[in-house]
Amino acid sequence: MPCGLASLEEIFRTTHGVVFQCSNKNCYWLDFGGDCTPFKVNDFIQLKKQVEQIDIDAMLLDPRPGAEIAIIMPFRSHRCFVLQVEDVINLRELLRGAKFMMELPGLIKDCLKISPALYA
Amino acid sequence: MFSASYLCRNFKLTDMKDLLRLKTSLSEEIEQILNEQVKVEAHSSAIYLAMSSWCDDQGYDFSAAYFAKQADEERTHMLKLFHYINDRGGKAISPEITNVPKDFESFRGVFELALEQEMHVTAQFNNIADKCFKAKDFVTFQFIQWFLAEQIEEEYVARRILEMFDVIGEEGTGRWEIDKHVPKVSYSAE
Repeated sequence: MPCGLASLEEIFRTTHGVVFQCSNKNCYWLDFGGDCTPFKVNDFIQLKKQVEQIDIDAMLLDPRPGAEIAIIMPFRSHRCFVLQVEDVINLRELLRGAKFMMELPGLIKDCLKISPALYA
Repeated sequence: MFSASYLCRNFKLTDMKDLLRLKTSLSEEIEQILNEQVKVEAHSSAIYLAMSSWCDDQGYDFSAAYFAKQADEERTHMLKLFHYINDRGGKAISPEITNVPKDFESFRGVFELALEQEMHVTAQFNNIADKCFKAKDFVTFQFIQWFLAEQIEEEYVARRILEMFDVIGEEGTGRWEIDKHVPKVSYSAE
């Protein structure tokens, strides 16, 4: 386990998973589908982009066997995501929420720096 | 691996280390439109190279050299954007270039297409500037100014060459004359 437990902070949670931040190793942990996997910042963003690019309509409409499954194998990770439509929707929700929460501290700090009196 | 129940929940928003900003100063949106522009510049470069080849094949030597130079310039622009994305902590993507024409309708048609291409590039940069302004990314906004100024020259030269088709005319040795004058067209802001 690369990260000490005490260094993990929860960023975002849904009923289907959680994203944590490890400030010691500067990485994120994705707990989804019964497995918890670390990602470097870039790799996490890349995973989010890959999940966003999955064509759900094509998964639903394509009659060929296997079309209802999306497989994502991120680089530098042991994890292989085998996703059905419902999983894609759930993972998207989790990653979108996490990305928003990752950006939020910076936005708040900016506001505090620019107009501290307004937020006092 | 371990389950979520082991993980702590001491979430203090503003005290948390901002890993995203430590990694990159570009927002996802700005990084994406800059990467799209990398692709546009690479595509422009490829189109100009195709035009150069066509002109060479048709015997328009000066125009072939002009378009080859334009292709080099577009690639330089692409690399300028490419390095900027990486320098700011983003991830520049080497683009896949498709739909590059091999044949063109006429000598005049090549220059019309060149002007249309430049106008398209200008519109793209205007759009980037607009998005940078809205996102308050004034560093990228400032960076983009160089490209916007460059587009004045690019459009001017393309338009002036096209006007030669009317001024000189294509009849007789007209196209030979136009080709000879293509490298002489230049832009001066003063």
